[in-house]
Formats: sequence, structure tokens, C-alpha cells
Amino acid sequence: MAAEREIQLISEKFREFYAKGRIETPREMERREFGFIPFGAKAMFRHLSFSTPEDLRLYLVKNTPAHVYYSSAYYENPEAEMERKGWLGADLIFDIDADHIETPCKAEHDRWRCKGCGLEGRGETPESCPRCGGISFEEEKWICNRCLDAARHEAQKLLDILIGDFGFSPIDELEVSFTGHRGYHIHVSSPNIRELDQPARREIVDYILGTGIKAELHGFKPSLERLTTGEGGWRDRLIKALYDYLEEADLKALMEAGLSRATASKILEIKDRLLQILWDGRPSLALRLIRRRTLDKLVEAAVEREASAIDTVVTTDLHRLIRLPGTLHGKTGLIAQRVSVEILDDYDPLVEAVAFKGGMLKVYVERAPRFSIGGVLYGPYIGEEVELPMEAALYLLCKGAARLAG
Amino acid sequence: MIGVLEAKYPFLDRAVEMVGVLGLRVEELVGFGDVVDRGFERVSEAILRGVVSYRGENPEVEMLSFPVALMFVSLIGDPFLDRRYALAEGKRAYRLLREEAEEVIAEVAESFNWNIRLRRAILDGQLYSFELHFADYLRNASGFHEDKWKLVNRVMRNGYVLLTKAEAARLLECEVENLILQRVSRHRRIELPGELEKRVEMLKKLLEEHRGQIGGETLPERVDVEAFPPCIRRIFEAVLAGRKASHMERFALVSFLLNAGMSIEETAELFTSISDFDPEMTRYQVEHIAGLRGSRTKYKPPNCDTLRTHGICQNPDNLCRRVRNPITYYIIKARRGRRRRGKTS
Repeated sequence: MAAEREIQLISEKFREFYAKGRIETPREMERREFGFIPFGAKAMFRHLSFSTPEDLRLYLVKNTPAHVYYSSAYYENPEAEMERKGWLGADLIFDIDADHIETPCKAEHDRWRCKGCGLEGRGETPESCPRCGGISFEEEKWICNRCLDAARHEAQKLLDILIGDFGFSPIDELEVSFTGHRGYHIHVSSPNIRELDQPARREIVDYILGTGIKAELHGFKPSLERLTTGEGGWRDRLIKALYDYLEEADLKALMEAGLSRATASKILEIKDRLLQILWDGRPSLALRLIRRRTLDKLVEAAVEREASAIDTVVTTDLHRLIRLPGTLHGKTGLIAQRVSVEILDDYDPLVEAVAFKGGMLKVYVERAPRFSIGGVLYGPYIGEEVELPMEAALYLLCKGAARLAG
Repeated sequence: MIGVLEAKYPFLDRAVEMVGVLGLRVEELVGFGDVVDRGFERVSEAILRGVVSYRGENPEVEMLSFPVALMFVSLIGDPFLDRRYALAEGKRAYRLLREEAEEVIAEVAESFNWNIRLRRAILDGQLYSFELHFADYLRNASGFHEDKWKLVNRVMRNGYVLLTKAEAARLLECEVENLILQRVSRHRRIELPGELEKRVEMLKKLLEEHRGQIGGETLPERVDVEAFPPCIRRIFEAVLAGRKASHMERFALVSFLLNAGMSIEETAELFTSISDFDPEMTRYQVEHIAGLRGSRTKYKPPNCDTLRTHGICQNPDNLCRRVRNPITYYIIKARRGRRRRGKTS
């Protein structure tokens, strides 16, 4: 975390940002709970509410919090303690974070350090320290284009399902936003889903992840000559997923899916016939070639590849506080920015979400990998003083990777 | 004119309105012996057989006896009977609806404000008759545990789920059950004429005689680690070994241990003795789950469905397939263990 002098500068910049303009607010903002994390603090101030966008903006200008959150839920009394809030419903929220997606570049830009013995490593933080077995770590995570592209790809898969299967309108009911850090949020607001309880939301999560899918219930029965396709949904997606998976699978992949070496080799031998059968939609023929249990394992592996990597806890939480789009992310200085569904393909958060432009700043950088901000590449830096454009300097200051020079 | 539909589905608004128009008062009911008899019979069928029959010979009696039965159940004021009666009326509705024409099912569905449309489709040789908006579908089906009811195993497009006639009837059964449960749970006290009061007493007696048949399972006296389900066992061992457990995993473990009878002290001790958990914070959180703090709810362990969603259910065994909650697994497994140990020692 940045120290006193740095916090002062960052706060000043955040204040300028909020003083400048209008603030975006969620639907029915007066029914929402708001929460804030100040710079340098760990705990959240919550149970607050605002009735107009201007009230909220003035609060932000006055207090310049590092992080701004609002509730996905609508309450009778948003300011009351949890049990007395009076839950009226909640939007459906999906969180896609590059932290939960395997990307090869993490080994290049992420580091961890064991708090117990000081062992350091690169890439994803292990569950426990390989040297001392400790489970507390300091983590250093950086944003990069490849991680963000992977997250966006997952977001697009999710949108396909939400629009095609669930029938949500991309114009009225879906909102996508960049989180300001390593991922995307998708908000669904529709009277249809507002009052869904936790089990119902869990079913939606399972649908999106393909959890519990049974090939048999999508037509893979020994008695069925020809599959009915073209109805959309998982039925068609499953066949496509299986096809794509089988087409690419090699011995290693099949064994990772849980098949024995012998079965995996056999699948590879009959691969072309299987692909043809899938193409023709002939489940009875497929089940004559491979056993049901083998098919189930292939389906599981294929579906996992096809499903969208959402955070299951966020979506099933009826009282979640989520980052308010249009506000600044205290760890990056980037805007958590709304992106319309149509332009998501061409959206580049590391250019579009830059909040501070203009001027130069001299900073001392402890350590930073190569990073891109505002379309310019910087670094890597290690223990050096550099003069940087404001957006890059602020990004490093927010990350706590640099301090003001002099 | 009271028709067949009102007799079959007396919970429909139009039936309820008709009863209202007739404006029968409680004191006058005594004069309608057959209505009171049938009302009494509805409740006793629910207690004895778990399903209410349909008597179509006299539509008026069939329709009017429904509010009478509701009155009986609500006066007895026993949550167990509330649930049993609601379930039994739900089953009655299901059996009748299953046999109806599509239009009738759609009409009943619309009375529950379902967003439903007639749509004929043949898929894999199976005839589908309706499409239902997924929100209405989930409101009723998310409590079912068979694979075929999982949304991921349905055919859904543009927000609508294909349904067969029997499936639509089954989902309506849930609506009927919930509606009736809501109505009878509003327990109230009113003065009844002696004749009716006698019926209430008879039903109470009948209920007491049969309550015992639905026995509860009991927990073993001491916490039996051997009987833990695979999911809990895995987290338990991870925590013992000082490995990282997610928030959800810790919640599942703590709520399980507390429900299995472990004390708050022992549970908190488990976390603090082997790792760097803050003792005060840990105790606070354990007490919260035990219901001593915050919302004062004593949390049950998450159901298997939930654990599956969050990736915590990893190596289910045969017994897992029979249960919906880790605690049920534990009770059954512990009982088996006791029997086996009883035999060998």
C-alpha cells in the first residue's frame, strides 16, 4: 500500500475525477446499500444509502474512497443492519476474474512471497508454501492484455448463454463492466429474476458451468436413432463441445479426462468415425462404439472447456456488494467502466479505462514487470527513478509498486 | 354454476370467488353435513394416505369442502399437519392435471401468473406441449433433485423451457402445495359450533396416532470422524494439515461439525491450534455459525447441490447418491458403523 504522501496525491487525483463530472448510478439507487473502503484501510464502511446521484457524488468528492461498492440487492431499509434491511430482490451478478482463469503469462507478471519463511515464487500462489507449509502469502498481481483478453473471452461466452438461452435483452437487461482490475462484471436487471432465491440462482450457475449435465438427458440413449438438434441451449452446445474436444484431443488430454491409456488409445483410433457420428447426430451408433461411462467422462471434459469461468459464490450471494461502475479502482487508478455489449469485442480497458491523463510525474519504482497503459509499453523497472506520464505513474503508485521521488 | 373445474381445482380464484358469493358463515356450516363430512375426510386422507382423493359426483360438495378442510387444518395449528395437508392437496391436483387437456393446464398455470405458452414439439421421440419461462420453472423445480429437472439438462431457448404435460402438472403441484401451505399457516383462533369442534378434536387425535410413524433419525453420541462424508472429510483433513481452505469450505466444515454435535470450543480449537488463524476472530465466526451472534440463525451445512455448485463435492461415493445433505450421510453412515461394531465386539 502506498504511504502517506502517495495517498495524499492519489486522493487528490481521485477528488478531481469525481469533481469533474456526473456519476453513474444503479437502477433504484435509493433501495441499494452502499459501501466504501478508504485508502490505507482494510475494513469497509457499509450500510449507507443515497437518494440522488448528486448526493453520492458529493460524498465521493469529500471522502475520496479507494473502492466504491453497492448492493446487488434492493432493500426496504438499505441503512439498517443486515437482519432488518428487508430484502426485496436482487439483480443477478456474474464475476469473471483472470485470477480464476489459467493464463501462461501469470508466470511472467505475478509473484508471491511466503509470510512464514520468506520463500518467493512466480505465477499463481500455491495453496501452501512448498518449503515451510505456511498458508499466508504476500501477493503481487499485475494486469496484462493477455489476462484481460482471456477474461473477455469468458465474458463473451457468458453473454452468448445469457442472450441465446436465457433470452435476456442485451440492450435493456444486460450490463457489462470492466472491473478496473483483472476482469469483468455482468449485471442482469430484470423483474423476471429479481426475486429468485438461492437455489434458483444456483441452478443458473450450474447451467452456465454445465455442472451436472447428463448426456443421456440430451439424447445420448442407446435406443435413439437420431438426435433432435437445432433447439439451441446445451443440447446443441454439448454436441459442438464434444466435437471440438474430440477433434483436438490427444492421448494426454484424454487421460487427463480420466480415461485409461487403453481406452484413450481406442478413442483415438476410432476418432474419425466418432466425429462423423456426432456430426450426423446418431447417439445409438456412438454408444455402440464407446461405453456410457467413457462418454460421461468425455462430456465432462468437453463441457468444462466450453463453459464460462464465473465465480460461483458471487452469483449465488443474495446480498453481494459489488463495485459501482463508473468509479475508480483504488489499486490501479483505472475506471471500473461500463462497456456496451456490441463494442466489447473491440474494447481495450488499458486504453479506454485510463482516468488520469496529462502531466508527468517522477517516481521511484521498487519493482514492476513490463506493463501497458494508455497504449504505451513501460518497464520493466527495478529500483530506479523514472519520470512517467501521469497515467502510468498513478498506476504504479496505486499498485504500491512505486513512491514519489525525492 | 359450479362446474367440474371448480370442483377439481378449488384453489383457483374463480372457485374462491364462488365460495365468497355463497357467503356461508361458520355457524351455518352445520346444516351442510356432507360438506363438513367431506372437509373432514380431506384432512384425514392427508394424514392417513398422504394424498387427497377426488370425488366428482357432487361438484358443490367437492368445492365447498376445500375451505372447510383449510379451516380445520389452520385451527389445529400444527406445522407438521400444515405441510402434510398441503402436500396431499398438491398430489391430488397433480393426479387430476396430468390427465387434462393442454388448455386446462395452461389455464391453471396462468392463474398462478406463469409465463407459459402452448408449444408442440417432438424431441428424441418425446412429445412436449408447453414452453415455460425459466424463472417460473426454477421457482418450482429448483427444489427437485432428479437430474432431469436440472435446468442444464432441459432444452431452453430464449428464456423458455420445453415441458411435457406431466412435467407441467408436476410443477403446478408445487405451486398448489405452496399456496395451501401459506393459507393454512396463518393459524387463527375462532369459536366453532360444538359439532365442528368435535371434528377438530377427532382430527387432532388421528394426527397424534400417526405422527409417530414418521420417525426421525438420530445423531451418534460422540463425533465419529469415520462417518464423515467424503467432502467434509477432505476439508477436515486439509485444515488439520494446515492447508488452505476456501471460505465456503470452512463454512461447510464448521456448520457440519456443529450440527454433528461438536462444541463451539472444540470447533474453534481445531482451526486455531494448527495454523495462524486469529483465535478471537475464529471464535466469533464459529459462534456466528452456531447462531449465538448476528442473525441468531443456527446454520445447517449446505446441501449437496450447493457443495456441488461450488466444486466442494469431489469424490461422491454410493451413499452420497442417496442423500441431499452431508449430515444425513453422517447419520446413516454412523448408524451402519455402530451396527457393524456392535456385531464384531
